[in-house]
Amino acid sequence: MFKDLNPILHSQLRLAVVSLLITVKEAEFTFLREKTNATAGNLSVQINKLKEAGYIDVTKSFKDNYPQTICKITAAGVKAFEEYVRDLQAYLNIKK
Amino acid sequence: MDQESELTSEQSLKLIATMISRAKNEFYDTGLSALLWGSLVIVCSCLSYANHYLDWPVLRYAWWLMVVAVVPQVFISVREAKARRHKSHRDDLIGGIWISFGIAIFLFSYLDSQMTIKHDASIYLTLFAIPTFATGYGRRFQPMIFGGVACWVLAIVSLRSDYPEALIPMAGGALLAWFVPGLILRKRYLAAKRKHVQRP
Repeated sequence: MFKDLNPILHSQLRLAVVSLLITVKEAEFTFLREKTNATAGNLSVQINKLKEAGYIDVTKSFKDNYPQTICKITAAGVKAFEEYVRDLQAYLNIKK
Repeated sequence: MDQESELTSEQSLKLIATMISRAKNEFYDTGLSALLWGSLVIVCSCLSYANHYLDWPVLRYAWWLMVVAVVPQVFISVREAKARRHKSHRDDLIGGIWISFGIAIFLFSYLDSQMTIKHDASIYLTLFAIPTFATGYGRRFQPMIFGGVACWVLAIVSLRSDYPEALIPMAGGALLAWFVPGLILRKRYLAAKRKHVQRP
């Protein structure tokens, strides 16, 4: 039996965001937008979903009078990502 | 990027690898720090070399410029930290290496002034190479890897030279380890900046 892939992570943009955040300590919204080539609105929605799932922390502040959003992966996010990758690998191995 | 796209397992793994690679290869450096220290060491080495023959009292204090340069360095570091859009674990590590290098070099300068260590230029060059090589290696930035190795080679050259000729490899080390990589980083930074400005 295949284990169901985590539906929160099994989405193109959310998976891209978590993959970026797993690599860095923290990242600004603009960095994530540039690396994923997503629109601001779309990215904002997906970041909120990840935040609600407890996978990322979002800190909003101001930098030089401009709003700044900083995202950071949580311990739960790291664990979910590792499980997701393990599930993917297991799935691919069985399929082969 | 469309978040509603149905992903296959292969596509998911490919996406993860692509994103990790994009984040890993990203680093922010204006090149100003490398240019500042590279040019200062070159200038101070040349002034000390010239002063061996000129013997101008004021030139004996040339190396104090290194202490003065800490002020613009702090300013550059604060500005770069503010402009940085992401923080990586690797940047923390590299930052730690440069801070420990800064402390080690100033401590050694103090020891050198107290004890008049023979072949001090070769020790400085050996120290210059450590953070330079580590930064280049950590960032996969070849000019700094080459600069670090060049410093080690020049340390041997310096060891076999007498004062003031030993200052020439020192200037060469600063040129190859910091000034040239600094110019490359600066060029890369300005090109990236122009690209951002042009983007609609």
